[in-house]
Amino acid sequence: MRWAHLALSVLLVGTAVSILLAGRSDRPTALGWETRMLDACRGLVVLAFAAGVAVLLLQTALLEGRRAAALDPGALRRVLLETRGGHVWLVRHGLLLLLAAFLAVPLDVRRRVDWRAARGETALLGLAALGAGAAAGHAAALPGALAAIATDTVHVLAAGAWVGGLLPLALLLRRAGRAEGADARPLAVLAARRFSRLALACVLALVASGSVIAWAQVGSVAGLVGTAYGRLLLGKLALLAPILALAALNRRRHLPALGGEALRVGRPAMRRLARFVAGEAALALAVLGLAATMGFTPPAAHAEPDWPFAFRLSLETLADAPARAARALVGSQVLVLGAVAALAALVVRRARWPLLGGALVVLGAGAAIALPPLAIDAYPTTYVRPAVPYQAASIVAGAARYREHCAVCHGPTGAGDGPGGLRLARPPADLRAPHTGQHTAGDLFWWITRGIPRAGMPAFGATLAAEERWDVINYVRALSAAHAARNMGPTVEPDRAWLVAPDFAYAVGPTPARTLKDYRGRRVVLLTLYALPGSRPRLAQLADLYGSLTALGAEVVAVPTDAAPDALRRLGAAPRILFPVVTEGAADIVAAYRMLAAAPHAELLIDRQGYVRAIGRGAGLAAAEPNALLAEIQELNAEKVPAPAPEEHVH
Amino acid sequence: MRAWKAAALLNLALLLGVGWGYVFWGARTARLEQELRAARGAAAAGVERLWQVAGVVRAIVPEINVLVITHEDIPGYMPAMTMGFRASAPKIHEAVAVGDAVRFTLQGVPPNVVITAIEKTR
Repeated sequence: MRWAHLALSVLLVGTAVSILLAGRSDRPTALGWETRMLDACRGLVVLAFAAGVAVLLLQTALLEGRRAAALDPGALRRVLLETRGGHVWLVRHGLLLLLAAFLAVPLDVRRRVDWRAARGETALLGLAALGAGAAAGHAAALPGALAAIATDTVHVLAAGAWVGGLLPLALLLRRAGRAEGADARPLAVLAARRFSRLALACVLALVASGSVIAWAQVGSVAGLVGTAYGRLLLGKLALLAPILALAALNRRRHLPALGGEALRVGRPAMRRLARFVAGEAALALAVLGLAATMGFTPPAAHAEPDWPFAFRLSLETLADAPARAARALVGSQVLVLGAVAALAALVVRRARWPLLGGALVVLGAGAAIALPPLAIDAYPTTYVRPAVPYQAASIVAGAARYREHCAVCHGPTGAGDGPGGLRLARPPADLRAPHTGQHTAGDLFWWITRGIPRAGMPAFGATLAAEERWDVINYVRALSAAHAARNMGPTVEPDRAWLVAPDFAYAVGPTPARTLKDYRGRRVVLLTLYALPGSRPRLAQLADLYGSLTALGAEVVAVPTDAAPDALRRLGAAPRILFPVVTEGAADIVAAYRMLAAAPHAELLIDRQGYVRAIGRGAGLAAAEPNALLAEIQELNAEKVPAPAPEEHVH
Repeated sequence: MRAWKAAALLNLALLLGVGWGYVFWGARTARLEQELRAARGAAAAGVERLWQVAGVVRAIVPEINVLVITHEDIPGYMPAMTMGFRASAPKIHEAVAVGDAVRFTLQGVPPNVVITAIEKTR
């Protein structure tokens, strides 16, 4: 139904525009075509309106979740008056009604200015009714909705003028191609030329706006090949290729022949062109069908991609494999050579085809050399985003599951040295090794769920719930981070942010729970894990410094390592400690962060993007010289280009 | 009627419609914002108010008769935070110690509010 509505609206716009393009003529055949087209417009308005009403009824039934709602006046009123889609529907169908009324009034169009005004108004109303639909599409849900809606409007209007105009043009060409329609030939030739120019502009606008929309709504290769939305988009592109090929053929071959000698060249060319254009129109209507389906498919950026291939390409495979890197480098140079040859083929006219063929061969060879070393195994869940974020609570839950199921073979610290692993054909993976960076969280999820049969790793899909498996993945990520964090010291290394701080939730007394993430983009956090009485001098020092720390944009969060609920009372009245002291949620924070900094008293400096930048173990960050801590925070404040905030998933 | 006149009239009507809608929505938004501001203003100033708030005592400064408390949201006044409140009488702080979970009564015309009563909750 959506497809019918979209196709009818597009045809309406295209017909109105093509009348305008062809221009006014007094020849009987041309007048006959124009009358037919106007009649078609009237019919299309009525049909588009009816289809629109049907879409509204279906949408209402969908929103209300019951079939009967489609005919319930109350439900319809709610949808129309209280949803954005309803408002847009009202505007669009108001415009369609206006257009119907305008077309129904017989107007005297013998004078040129009257003809232009009448036909122009028809096209204008049709375009407005079609374009307004963008305000209720996926674009309206994006941040910066106005620009996105404008892009969508350009896309749909360009499609309307081009796709909708194909069929009327084919009809005009067919009429003018007959012996008795010879009087309309000049008009038809003119119309075809003008349309060809308009179509070129429209296709360019479509490609440009389409790329922008795809970037916003799909945004990744996984989204393109792994989601329904992305696959619909691929289908659209696949259908577009033959349309563009046909269009190019028409433009190069048939269009110049139209003006040729009537009987032998011009007329047959016109009839052929009519058939080809009609073919284009049929394919284009199929594209509209896909576009209408995309309208109610969740955009790829919001869906979980299901990776369809057994491999993916990643530059990270080259990290410590010089032979592979060399091969990839050679291949990439061959690819550049091929690209240059292809460009040359476009510029040089004489040897175009051999040159293009050669370029394709070189490109193929380059790909064959460069791509295999980049390929690593991939699984359907490779690009799935973790259902459980990288949080202290999840890490702690994952640690329990890990001890229960994984430590037997992978060892208690993830080194792959568990007793169960000794009798396996392939030793269990060292989970702390840097190569884990090559695998996405989705890869780990697949292995834990399905096992790795040839290596003897069992499947846990049946024993562990999906959330528990994500907990284990978060724990493994923390293991790997802990291994890497061994060398992090108490001073900030400028512009080197790589250790993601696990998020956590905490509360002080009766205050509502806060998370580490709340500070993101706002404050540097000095996370202090303390143990009384050893930490008392340092806490007194921090309490003393607290005013300066806040002035520099830092917050201190103190976590008692014994997780005592009466931690505040134990700290006592002097000195006055006014920074947050965690009384709820401390146990998880301590368990997770002890992995990064194992000491009775530990301090972690977390920057505004959520990365751990310095770790002090024992005495605390720069305990001897209190101003050194302020200097470290100044260093973070002075960083020009902050690293992008870490994403929720592992890479 | 000439066709171009009809088209021009129609466009004029459309323009007027869009313009009217723009002005109408603009006026409505402005009115709503003003009401919101008025409501906030009324809540914030002028009237004596009274709250029961839960919190934790973080520090006691008897010299200036102030208790620093990490407290929950105070509806219509301030979000949860750590801050100092004056006590209405010098003896009030003697009932509590640092680290105690408390429930206290906050009374006054914002921003001049004082603690009139405080008690331990556990």
